[in-house]
Amino acid sequence: MAEKTFKDRIAFHQSLETLEVDFSNVTFSSVDEVDAFYDEVDQQLAKTGRRWYFLIIYLDCVIEPQVWERFAERGKNTNVKYSLGTVRVGASEETREEIRGRAKEDRFRSNIFASREEALFAIAERRKRQEVLVERQTDDYLRVEDVQLLFGGIRALDGVGFSVNRGEIFSIIGPNGAGKTSMLNVINGFYRPTRGQIVFDGRDRTSLKPRAVAGLRFARTFQNIALFKGMTTLDNIMTGRLLRRRSNFLWDAIYWGISKNEEMENRDYVEGIIDFLEIEAIRKTPVGRLPYGLQKRVELARALAMEPKVLLLDEPMAGMNLEEKQDMVRFILDANDQWGITMILIEHDMAVVMDISNFVVVLDHGQKIAEGVPDEVRVDPVVIRAYLGQN
Amino acid sequence: MSDTLFFFEVLIAGLLSGVMYSLVALGFVLIFKASGVFNFAQGALVLFAALSLVILLEYGDGGAIWGWTGWLALILAGAAGVFYMLSRRASVARRLVPSNWMVWGGAALGLIVLGTLFEGDKAMWRAAFITLLAFFVLVVGAKRPGAAAAVLLGLAVACLLPVGQILPGDIWNFWRSIAITLLVMVLLAMAIERVALRPLINQEHIILFMVTIGLNFLIEGMAQGIWDSQVHGLDIGIPDMPIQAIIDSTGLFISTFDVFAAVMAIVLVAGLGLFFQKTRIGRALRAVADDHQAALTVGIPLQDIWAIVWSAAGFVALVAGILWGAKLGVQFSLSLIVLKALPVLILGGFTSVPGAIVGGLMIGATEKLVEVFIGIPYFGGGTESWTPYIFAMFFLLFRPQGLFGEKIIERV
Amino acid sequence: MFYREAGQFKTSYPSDQAIFPILQDRWTVITILVVAFVVIPLVANQYWLGPILTQFLVFSLAALGLNILTGYAGQLSLGTGGFMAVGAYATFNLVLRIPELPLVVALIVAGVITAFVGVLFGLPSLRIKGFYLAVATLASQFFLIWLFDHVGWFTNYDTAGVASAPSRTLFGALADAGGPLDFLAPINPVVSGPRAATETKYLLTLTVVAVLALMAKNMVRSGIGRTWMAIRDMDIAAEIIGISPIRAKLSAFAVSSFYCGVAGGLYVFTYLGNADTEAFGLTRSFQILFMVIIGGLGSVVGSFMGAAFIVFMPVLLNNVSSVVFGGTLSGDTISNMELMIFGGSIIFFLIVEPHGFARLWQIAKQKLRVWPFPY
Ligand SMILES: Nc1ncnc2c1ncn2[C@@H]1O[C@H](COP(=O)(O)OP(=O)(O)OP(=O)(O)O)[C@@H](O)[C@H]1O
Ligand SMILES: [Mg+2]
Repeated sequence: MAEKTFKDRIAFHQSLETLEVDFSNVTFSSVDEVDAFYDEVDQQLAKTGRRWYFLIIYLDCVIEPQVWERFAERGKNTNVKYSLGTVRVGASEETREEIRGRAKEDRFRSNIFASREEALFAIAERRKRQEVLVERQTDDYLRVEDVQLLFGGIRALDGVGFSVNRGEIFSIIGPNGAGKTSMLNVINGFYRPTRGQIVFDGRDRTSLKPRAVAGLRFARTFQNIALFKGMTTLDNIMTGRLLRRRSNFLWDAIYWGISKNEEMENRDYVEGIIDFLEIEAIRKTPVGRLPYGLQKRVELARALAMEPKVLLLDEPMAGMNLEEKQDMVRFILDANDQWGITMILIEHDMAVVMDISNFVVVLDHGQKIAEGVPDEVRVDPVVIRAYLGQN
Repeated sequence: MSDTLFFFEVLIAGLLSGVMYSLVALGFVLIFKASGVFNFAQGALVLFAALSLVILLEYGDGGAIWGWTGWLALILAGAAGVFYMLSRRASVARRLVPSNWMVWGGAALGLIVLGTLFEGDKAMWRAAFITLLAFFVLVVGAKRPGAAAAVLLGLAVACLLPVGQILPGDIWNFWRSIAITLLVMVLLAMAIERVALRPLINQEHIILFMVTIGLNFLIEGMAQGIWDSQVHGLDIGIPDMPIQAIIDSTGLFISTFDVFAAVMAIVLVAGLGLFFQKTRIGRALRAVADDHQAALTVGIPLQDIWAIVWSAAGFVALVAGILWGAKLGVQFSLSLIVLKALPVLILGGFTSVPGAIVGGLMIGATEKLVEVFIGIPYFGGGTESWTPYIFAMFFLLFRPQGLFGEKIIERV
Repeated sequence: MFYREAGQFKTSYPSDQAIFPILQDRWTVITILVVAFVVIPLVANQYWLGPILTQFLVFSLAALGLNILTGYAGQLSLGTGGFMAVGAYATFNLVLRIPELPLVVALIVAGVITAFVGVLFGLPSLRIKGFYLAVATLASQFFLIWLFDHVGWFTNYDTAGVASAPSRTLFGALADAGGPLDFLAPINPVVSGPRAATETKYLLTLTVVAVLALMAKNMVRSGIGRTWMAIRDMDIAAEIIGISPIRAKLSAFAVSSFYCGVAGGLYVFTYLGNADTEAFGLTRSFQILFMVIIGGLGSVVGSFMGAAFIVFMPVLLNNVSSVVFGGTLSGDTISNMELMIFGGSIIFFLIVEPHGFARLWQIAKQKLRVWPFPY
């Protein structure tokens, strides 16, 4: 057995709210040893009367297979009672695999780091975020509950739920085919979920048609640009105003009274947006002739012309060069500021997402695998694995 | 006769005529499947095929098909071919190919204009037509001059050999005429694809559709200009008489000819079905239908495929022309059967070969039943002009892509 | 340098949104109107005024109607002839059964009736798309023609099934001397029937067409036009930004049918004088569709140019062939040649310029704008 007693191996770092357990060079080979250890830990923890982050150092620690069950069970109990989160350092190859496997099964994060320093840093970061998280009170402006969407055998979405706050930039990320676009399609009524609910501003609107959703002032841009190819930039943006049309074709035919007034008001508003997005020069150009980046911008303009409360952006920066991306980010942030538009953003450029989002949800294979503020998600191994698993 | 019996007789007549509609619809399906072109000229092709066949039969009765003008045209074409092939050997001349095109096209046009001067005698029209076709063979066959020359030679021999020793005169004449017509149809169809549709690749569907309506007029005019606008009888040796055995056993009057036509149609459909499923070209065709761009990138020669498809459509037009011509007589109105094929097409689905058959049966039956039991007694008849369309339309309300058409998935 | 918008800066949206924002365009339109209303009636002979120009105007109107549906709203229709027939027979019956009704009012009411019929036959467009819809629109074509052929009431039980335009004055019987509106009597010419002057019929047609063309232009440049074009270009996206496909498509069918209906009424009353259903067959539908395609989908002027091409080309061909061949050809040969040349030139034209005269016109304007410099 080890030279140090278990007692020596347990250290509390008050400032970090962390309990450090050092298993280096320990071998667990009997149930009694495991129990002895956990009894000691539980006892110490019980004395403190509060929860801690756990930092467990597994360097050269051996846990023999016959005690795995016991070890895991006790560990779980302790975790449930006292843990704010666990990070692990230096597990052997075998142990690591085992932990990962169980983590995956039980859906907790395995959080295995290479060195103690890294682990402590992660804990520090996490505490910071935790504070932020506590501040993120959800106001349930838009709530997605347990949404499932099936296409034949494909589960495009499987029990996804999240909550978007008024006025925030909310990002959905995930590898290709994760179901991000499908999520937007469900939100704006293009697909009807096979299960689950969408609640907006306290009202269930799961089964509304796209047009009715547009009526609630949801606007959107599309992954594959969906501009009206046969029309000019100006006309395209003007279509964003059709939602609030009061005139009808008889008035339009004589272009008088309500028709003309409305046209002027709309033009006025649209000019504001054209200025805002700096596309004055292409007003009268047929959109089919515009370069890709500008088309994306016109699409944003059309969406903004709807005076949206919620704006769904499906990869607004895909295929853009750095400069175009910077412009786009600026427009999105400005629009968010200026009109307080709630934005749901899908984007593959992580730098951008992490930079501008208030909150991030990660989808993979139709399931929500993580959520949190950007910094939290960025370092989340589950997320990293989902992305790496891609390649 | 009992009411039920009468009902069945009408039903069966409807089904049988429906099969005839399928025959025309099939030509549409072939072309639409492979190239996305809604070929409105299919009816005109049917007319052209039937008219060519009848006239060849009438002229060839016991002799050569064309007189001295035919000879002249063939000699001209042959000479052209020789020159053309010779010029292809010299590298300088090779660069002149486009202008060769124009020289020969111009010569052919000149012949047409010249031909119009010989009023009452269609000989020059035909001469011009042969020259044009021969010329087309040369242009298309420029890569394989040997094959092109063989086609021309075959054409000449078939035209000129009056009566074989081996076969009795009328059988020889019949099959010879069918062979020549088939050749002409295939060439014509390929020429259409080449001249009118290839320059318009990637244009909107509606533009291509309009071009085929233009073609429809062009071919109708050509058919009557080159041949004539009389009504011709076409006898293929199958009588349009009720089958006695069926009358005896069930009391139903069912025509031998209708049954024959139905069998022909089914054979054709089965053949095409096999062709699509089993052969390499058929599979390539299906790939092309699914996605032109992708087919190109995996190295399927799109243009060859289209040439094949158009030829097949020409062939189907010939079969439809023979059957319809034998039933109704060969005349201008033959091109109007296209209007019977359209509802079949949307009912069955634009892209489905079996759809054409099932759609045909449904349309044929509905049309006849409505006409006999509702149209004639209550409205003075004529309902056949619109019942197929209304029927197909209501059907589409429930299944917008037709019976067997591919479901349209909308995505954003 | 003749055609310059430079220097014509728009200082306000109203002037930029004006129907012809560029000065030169305004002058061109004014010139055309003056020529059409004043010069042509003074100088043209009966042949040109009647069969040619009036026919041209009527077909332009029908083409405009179809262009609204197919060119702007993207719904391919092959049933134009049927809708024209509805307009024609509706006008005929209105005028016949209510003799006091002024012709213009009858035309408008007939247009409205046609609009309703159009909406009815447009309903399938909510489910059916593309060529499936195009073929389905043939249902209206064949059904309507059959209806007028087989229900005698529509032709007032004429044995030959012909509707003959009765003699009517512009403002109807009310404006006859002694009637309640007799102050209108001096300007109340006979506008239909055998006694009507060709000039009067021409001017009536021209006025109706000019007003309706203006209204069409207004519609396509404002809200309803954008609704149609959005549905045409991408119906899914249109729905997602809040456009109702039902209202967009049905309003397009309604407006389009209204135009075709009025065109049908004019066709009988100011051009043919009398007509049977033959005049509204499938060939007519195709002919109008050709005008739209050749003129340019989604262009108001294009409709006029397309109609001009289709109406004037046969006249030209006729004249040319009679000069060249001097009557050596039989009627049969000529009609076959006409078919071939008509078909051939359409193919040729579409290969050369698939987007029609409207595009050529645009390019020409572009060239004029920079003339005499190449760029
Ligand atoms: N209409 C549909 N019919 C059938 N399957 C669909 C349909 N729409 C989406 N899917 C499937 O659902 C899954 C999720 O697709 P989705 O477009 O939402 O992915 P995504 O996360 O947006 O991916 P990307 O980053 O590539 O845009 C995919 O497997 C896709 O093939
Ligand atoms: Mg996507």
